[in-house]
Amino acid sequence: MNPAVHLWHAVRAIGFATYKEWAAYRSHMAVSLLVGPVYFLVQYMIWHAIYEGKDTINGLTLAQMLSYFGIAAVVNYFTFDFADWNLQMLVRTGKFVTFALRPMPHWLFALAQKLGHRSLGFAIECAPVFLIFLFVFHIDLKPAAPGWAAISIALSFLMNFMVNYCVGLTAFWLVRAEGVRRVFLLLKDISAGLFVPLSFFPGWAQHVLFYLPFQFITYVPTRVYVGKYELAGMHLSLPGVVGLQAGATALVAGLMLLLYRQALRRFTGVGV
Amino acid sequence: MIGVLTCIGVVLRTKLAAQMAYRSHFVLSVLLLIVGDLLVPMITVLVYRSGASLPGWTLHEALLVQGIFGLAKGIAFPLFFGMVGTTLSQVREGTFDLLLLKPRPTLFMTMLSGIDPDDFGRLVSGGVLFGYAISGIRTPSPVQWLLFAAWFLVSLAVLFAFSLLLSGLLFRWVGSSRVYDIFDSVTSFGMYPGTIYAKSFQQLLTYVVPVGLIAFVPASSLLGRAGGGYAWAAASAALFLLAGIFYWHRMLRGYTSAGG
Repeated sequence: MNPAVHLWHAVRAIGFATYKEWAAYRSHMAVSLLVGPVYFLVQYMIWHAIYEGKDTINGLTLAQMLSYFGIAAVVNYFTFDFADWNLQMLVRTGKFVTFALRPMPHWLFALAQKLGHRSLGFAIECAPVFLIFLFVFHIDLKPAAPGWAAISIALSFLMNFMVNYCVGLTAFWLVRAEGVRRVFLLLKDISAGLFVPLSFFPGWAQHVLFYLPFQFITYVPTRVYVGKYELAGMHLSLPGVVGLQAGATALVAGLMLLLYRQALRRFTGVGV
Repeated sequence: MIGVLTCIGVVLRTKLAAQMAYRSHFVLSVLLLIVGDLLVPMITVLVYRSGASLPGWTLHEALLVQGIFGLAKGIAFPLFFGMVGTTLSQVREGTFDLLLLKPRPTLFMTMLSGIDPDDFGRLVSGGVLFGYAISGIRTPSPVQWLLFAAWFLVSLAVLFAFSLLLSGLLFRWVGSSRVYDIFDSVTSFGMYPGTIYAKSFQQLLTYVVPVGLIAFVPASSLLGRAGGGYAWAAASAALFLLAGIFYWHRMLRGYTSAGG
């Protein structure tokens, strides 16, 4: 069999197994149907109060601001990832040894798992929350350019996985990396624009954030979705910003593979 | 009472000693809690910096609400909120049975097991924010301080009721770590001044699901804005707490371990 087809079959099988495994815990995911809208309701009320007597804040109207948070939440459900936690657990408990012996790199196995996990997440979290935002809150969730939005979200899916996987790889160097993981993830979420659009940050911070890969996880796909990108005074066209996102994703992929190789050199386990 | 305090002291000492085996992790965890708890205030600052504001509230007043929220969590999380984590892990693993065998009330033992020194970091972030906010408002009178102290106790009672409800839920909904997400999302209404919500919603947050009592009402009392109308809110908090205690014990009765 063609190696590429064989690999695809393997990825599909792992993804499907993960899908079935998580389907057994679907109530765990379904909590998002309560949590997502409740968080959004808080944002909805706060921003309504803040916009009282104002048309725009930092160049965004109230409708655009609510769309930003709505889209960011949906994108976040779609790209959600815990590869870092999983990898650190495997290294700490020694279970990673079973993956070191398999004829497939662990990062690809983890990516296949994420594909399966998020396929289920799409059905249980993403699509229903999208519909709640659309029909209950009447948020404008129509993408300005569906094609570019889809590419940008797909790249964000990969970027989130790779950044998290790099964080997970720190477990090969640190005895207990939970603290590092949590600090890094918090900084990642802030820098990605998950809590507030990056255009709210001071000018110098926006310049720093522009050169970090985190904006490509939430901020860029959300802005591409609404059809207008602006950060640190720089305005980019949709093809321009998605091209930049593709370049950054490729760069982080290279970094992840390099770190992965270095990490495997350090790994020692029973019989390996 | 002395016995209770001794137990808490012993558990705190033991847990701290265990944490010292991973000192860097402990320090990072505490720092993370401080940074994490300053996140919402940071967003508030960014909003005010952009020229916008929460109507009727200056930056320091808005931060006061969030500082009090942090202080309340800084006491609740290390001392009793850990019971949620205890129930979550021990019911799933089947080790909760051990708590039933101990010569103290099960609820007290569940609380003791959940004591977590890491969470005292929240007290630092809440304290810093509270201090900063106080420095920017008119100095409260002694009566206002007394009222604040009373409402702060109510705030802790509400958080205790929440921890009982979530912990109780985990006897039936085994191993679902998403109860924390439910708590965070529902209580996030309490991190902002209640006056920004519609009147009916304010009533809901004061008398039915009293998250407004965690920080907004204590802050209002310190600012001299809490009217007599809130007296009924204390009664609703007491009812909420009683409901939590009743619910927890009822769920405990339904707990079936490996031994039946």
